[in-house]
Amino acid sequence: MIEGSPRVEQSCVLISADEHVVEHPGVWTERMSKSRWGNRIPHTERESDGTEHWTVDGEILPLPGVALSGALLADPCRELQRWVDVPKLSYVPDERLKAMDASGVNFAVLYPTVAGVAGETFARLDDPELELACVQAYNDWLIEEWASRSQRFVPQCIVPIYPAEASVAEIKRAVKMGHRGVIYPAIPMQIRNVPHINDPQYDLIWATCQELGVPLCLHAGSSKGVQIPIHPDMSPRAAAALQAVLRPASAVFDVANILFSRILMRFPNLKVIFAESTVAWGAFLLEYADHQFQQDRCEGYELKPSEMFTRQCFLTTWYNRVRTDIGYLGADNILWATNFPLANSTWPDVRHFVERGLFGVPEDERHKILWQNAAKLYQIS
Amino acid sequence: MKIQYGLISADSHIALDRDAFTKRLSKAVWGDRIPQVVETTEKDKPVERWIVNGRIRRRAVCNCPAAMDGPMPRNKYPDRWEEVPRKAYVPQERLKALDEDRIDAEVLFPNDPGGFYDYGDPAFELACVQAYNDALSEWHDESDRFIPLAMVPLLGDTEARVAEVKRAVSKGHRGIVMLAEPSSTVRGFKHISDPYWYPLWAICEELGVPVHIHASAGLGDKLNVPRWEGYTPRQFHSAFTVPCGAWPAQLVPNLIFSGVLGRFPRLKWVFAETGIGSINYVREACDYEWERRRLWTEGFLQRPSEIVTRQIFVNFWFERSGIQMRHAIGIDNIMWESDYPHISSTYPQSWDFVLRTVEGVPAEEQKKMLWENAARLYGIM
Repeated sequence: MIEGSPRVEQSCVLISADEHVVEHPGVWTERMSKSRWGNRIPHTERESDGTEHWTVDGEILPLPGVALSGALLADPCRELQRWVDVPKLSYVPDERLKAMDASGVNFAVLYPTVAGVAGETFARLDDPELELACVQAYNDWLIEEWASRSQRFVPQCIVPIYPAEASVAEIKRAVKMGHRGVIYPAIPMQIRNVPHINDPQYDLIWATCQELGVPLCLHAGSSKGVQIPIHPDMSPRAAAALQAVLRPASAVFDVANILFSRILMRFPNLKVIFAESTVAWGAFLLEYADHQFQQDRCEGYELKPSEMFTRQCFLTTWYNRVRTDIGYLGADNILWATNFPLANSTWPDVRHFVERGLFGVPEDERHKILWQNAAKLYQIS
Repeated sequence: MKIQYGLISADSHIALDRDAFTKRLSKAVWGDRIPQVVETTEKDKPVERWIVNGRIRRRAVCNCPAAMDGPMPRNKYPDRWEEVPRKAYVPQERLKALDEDRIDAEVLFPNDPGGFYDYGDPAFELACVQAYNDALSEWHDESDRFIPLAMVPLLGDTEARVAEVKRAVSKGHRGIVMLAEPSSTVRGFKHISDPYWYPLWAICEELGVPVHIHASAGLGDKLNVPRWEGYTPRQFHSAFTVPCGAWPAQLVPNLIFSGVLGRFPRLKWVFAETGIGSINYVREACDYEWERRRLWTEGFLQRPSEIVTRQIFVNFWFERSGIQMRHAIGIDNIMWESDYPHISSTYPQSWDFVLRTVEGVPAEEQKKMLWENAARLYGIM
């Protein structure tokens, strides 16, 4: 029995596999020791002109506003600069449930915003203890304020990225508290001086995810190193649009790396979700990967890249017309999402994009993409 | 030119004779800096290699595995000039190879040695570029089945660059080759969408010659996942090559949202050896962001997918998924490439690949992709 109870009539359950919580200014200050961490605690600061920004350990976070809630704004390209202006729909759980009801979404799988859309913010810190304290405060808060409020919120933890022992300790703690997925930056070595993600030093993390049955979630945009630079003179609105297109395009690098990394061979039951990937480039990537794999006579793999993808990977769609892509990716390997409340979200036209995106897709495959695949991954029943 | 076979390769690579530069550059002015083939050692083995400005070009004396060996897979490179097959670098012999592979014409991209901007000397770069362009003009004089693309000097001033484009086009060149994103390749070069390059786009538009971005176009490891030391060379080659197919998924949106394509609406851009299967992403993603963000209010009056249809051309060589999605990519924007004589070339079985790939496609659409689109773009016939 599905617990969620949206108001609109619908033929099918909806599980949005990629939504973002918006962390309010008290998330870290209310949970971290002021005497120990002082001003290094993530918090908002106000400029003389009244605008606010987030800072962590003395660094201003590279966010375009004090929150990301473009889907709720008159101009989705201009993020808000003052917390008082941020719509409650984005950060108050009860309000969020109303937004989900309005668009017919039963469950929302949660990713961070201030902690990084791909959970990368604290990975940049050089101090492992501070990193851990920030991470734990986020993970605690998500359970306390969101997951405890409603089972319709599916919480996922962030982790200290290195060493693996530290990551694993936090994964175990978080999963015990109720977290259902593990968010990790896809290319950590472009964020901080840590070993290459393909290195067996990380195996403990993959092994733990596999053992606990929680998916590994690599959200697009963790690293600017796989995105072309944007010209500084571009108009802010055009630049925001370009950034929104570059981010999913950069996930190609995340997926290709995982497919060749041999991680999937060592951990055949590990599930890897590429959130905010889109699916439109997927068919080409898999075909190219198999083609090159055969051309290069790649040794040391039991399966072709596309076969490992089929066994273990998931791409995420929110506006794509998926009918043709399904033939290459498989209906079992696509998750649907709204990306709420980011500027590129389909909200408030969620239903419209569901119908447009899944036009021509057979009923059984619709169910897989819209909820069954996610239900299986997150054990929602 | 008479179309006999119904197949044009929109991406092949020149191989210049060993005296191509020594016979064109003044020995008195440039001395030993002139690109030439010299005796050297590699892995303790006596070999011949190109040397440019004192720097030896490693790996092989000519990048021509497809001419060296049988069909794919192959991996043979010549170490001495006498091993280089004449069907790679002698125009009349190369025409026979075209006939053998039943190809009407080929568009000629550079081969090693290239990248003359790399030596930091504008006068030297210009001399090498002019020698290169002159050598290709002579190929074109020998047969109009050779469609040459000009290098442009990047270090010198804009006037010199524009003058060289004019000179090359007057001598038979039908396009220019360009770095994908100059500021990512060379510190100090301007970003691809910077107004600094506008005069170059303007002269190409005026002369009706397309700009060509060939993988890697200087991006190489600049836009990729950092190399992992744990790969075997074959694994590394696959892991490195595959995601590069998605470079156009970042480069084309940048050209759209930076306004470059709108400012030069008659200028065509060709993306070579990066496949066709990321353009469906570009069209869908850019249209989505344009609509959701109402970018017409920002002066972007045209739907991005219409701009793509008008100005962006891509080549396929192995893909079946892209061909199935040809209408989501643009049936008038797809060309075919053999990549001769490089390692991934379809030579000498090009038609086997072609027929397998376009199986089931209506004859009219096949014709467009196999030669008509290229004939129209390059003004053949």
